Amino acid sequence: MRKKKVTVLNEAGLHARPSSVLVKTASGYKSDLQIEMYGYRVNGKSILGLMTLAAEQGSEMELIVEGPDEDEAIEALIKLFENKFKRE
Amino acid sequence: MSISTEKKLKDRTLLGTPGAGGRGVGRPVVINTEKRVVKPGKVGADRIGDEVELLERALDELVDEFEALKSINDEEDVTDVMETQVQLLRDPELKKSILDKIQEQRFKAVYAIFSSFNEYIQLLENSEMNWLKDRTIDIVSIRDQLIDTVRNKQPDYIHADNGVIFAEELSPTEMIKLSRFNLAGIVMEKGGLTSHVVILAQSLGIPCVIGVDWKRMWPEDFEYVMIDGDVGSVLFEPTDQLKEEVKFYKQEKLKKQKIALQWASEPDETECGCSFAIRGNVEFISELPRVKTHGARGIGLLRTETILFESGGFDVQTQIDFYRQAAEASGEESVIIRLFDAGGDKLPENHEQEHNPFLGWRGIRMLLDKPELLRQQYEAILRVSVEFKGKIKILVPMISHMHQIERAKDILKEVEEELRQSGVGFDPDIPFGIMIEVPGIAVMAKEAAEDVDFFSIGTNDLTQYMLAVDRGNSKISSLYQPSHPSIWRMIKFVTDAAKEAGIPISVCGEMASNPLYAACFLGMGISDLSMTTNSIPAVKKMLCSHTLAEFKEITAQVLQSHTSTEVNLIFDEWKNTLDLHRM
Repeated sequence: MRKKKVTVLNEAGLHARPSSVLVKTASGYKSDLQIEMYGYRVNGKSILGLMTLAAEQGSEMELIVEGPDEDEAIEALIKLFENKFKRE
Repeated sequence: MSISTEKKLKDRTLLGTPGAGGRGVGRPVVINTEKRVVKPGKVGADRIGDEVELLERALDELVDEFEALKSINDEEDVTDVMETQVQLLRDPELKKSILDKIQEQRFKAVYAIFSSFNEYIQLLENSEMNWLKDRTIDIVSIRDQLIDTVRNKQPDYIHADNGVIFAEELSPTEMIKLSRFNLAGIVMEKGGLTSHVVILAQSLGIPCVIGVDWKRMWPEDFEYVMIDGDVGSVLFEPTDQLKEEVKFYKQEKLKKQKIALQWASEPDETECGCSFAIRGNVEFISELPRVKTHGARGIGLLRTETILFESGGFDVQTQIDFYRQAAEASGEESVIIRLFDAGGDKLPENHEQEHNPFLGWRGIRMLLDKPELLRQQYEAILRVSVEFKGKIKILVPMISHMHQIERAKDILKEVEEELRQSGVGFDPDIPFGIMIEVPGIAVMAKEAAEDVDFFSIGTNDLTQYMLAVDRGNSKISSLYQPSHPSIWRMIKFVTDAAKEAGIPISVCGEMASNPLYAACFLGMGISDLSMTTNSIPAVKKMLCSHTLAEFKEITAQVLQSHTSTEVNLIFDEWKNTLDLHRM
């Protein structure tokens, strides 16, 4: 299992487009992704789950990745947060 | 026209807010907006497998449908929306919840779908964040489409071809699905000017009017309906003559591509040889190629707010990239960059709801209170300006007081000084202009002209503030009339002030994209117009094929008018004579 605390850096928070990009990235890996925020945990491959987090800019959350490709998956996800969910 | 027919015409006309331009005639198609009621029906243990099967099939069917829609339309806004819709249907947690309700609680698939979706909808509706609340309409729509698919029910709009859609409110998905029917128009009771549906209607070129109280008209009792997305009107049972007009208009629109190419290369000159300049209003990066293809002389208004949200930040490098791309797309021509023009509600740390955001903390008012934001934007603009010397200009929105001009210029000087000290190059003579959109500064135009390098008139806000009409408010949006004589007189006043002071003046509001209005601006002495690139060919055609004397005559009549109706009549009559000449 890999864990990492990340911060939402982009101005508008984890709104529609970033959530969509996040789900798309996470779904590309076999590993499960859980995201924990304020003790509330959602499935990172669930767009509805991400929306209910209502994460704004500056929100801190923990990524919890578990599975056969967890190393690559977490690297890709961290990068996504760092790049403010910019499209490739 | 006799008084009686005019009255009848009036009774058959509904007014709303223009959402997306263009005109169309078609059969009215009312989209069923009743809320779906789903009873909590249960099934026996032996039927559970069938219900699961129903669910799986419906999900696959809808996903396929959305994927297909995505592939027939390559507009970026459209594919983004579809992508999210597919993700909703493929949401693992949602599916788990639905399956649980079928398999463990033995609910029928329709109810399991209904109640699982509703749990999320409720969560999102209770959210404090507006964008989340806005999302719920998409989710409700997916829920209902999925239920309809399970029930094998055909959607209402299956026969929408060439129709004018009447709806309370459409979701982006419905909008995109409808778009393949070659719609004549869309009429909505609700919906804001910045809603997804309106933006999609604009990029898909479907005329759209919002804020229309259409239910009392029972649209389906009429055979035909005409929609005018430029003025925001909906007319039931249009006369044959009007139908012909729209037919003609549509044929013209089809030729648009050819015309675009033909007029794009023409010089910006009236028939009598007076030169003018038509520039493009640009908001999205995807619009940049159109600057060249549609014959714009560079960018007369580069909106910066959208790109700042889109790229997720205000950081200098992101801005530099965008401004540079815009300057490159403009070739030898200039780019007018308008400073961040949005309300304080767009700032993440500010959650205060303003009672009256249009009269509130926005544009330069906010920027002066958030100087770090303003400095960053100045820095980005200046850094780009060194590569495009003489071609980048700064435009300040929402100026209402003279001291704001002074303060905004002071901060610009400070940023210039900082850059100079760190050895960063920039254009030291970067022109500094202001938007004329608040009546209070318009009246002070003579004085303001002494302090700035150019004026740009924002007709949308000027109209809104002059007439005290919030055009997003459907109760009063019909009073939003850019043709109101006061608007023309005010623009004339500002133009004269600019001429006297010897500074350039341009118009960058929606009014400029109306060829008749554009002609009137030329007649008034404004020869620099900026508009959405899609409107350029039509405007250019108008301006190139007539003389300045004709425009001046129209302008003189408009300036003497007493009412909007009179002004509209002048334009209508003129247009009719032009059409006659063409035939």
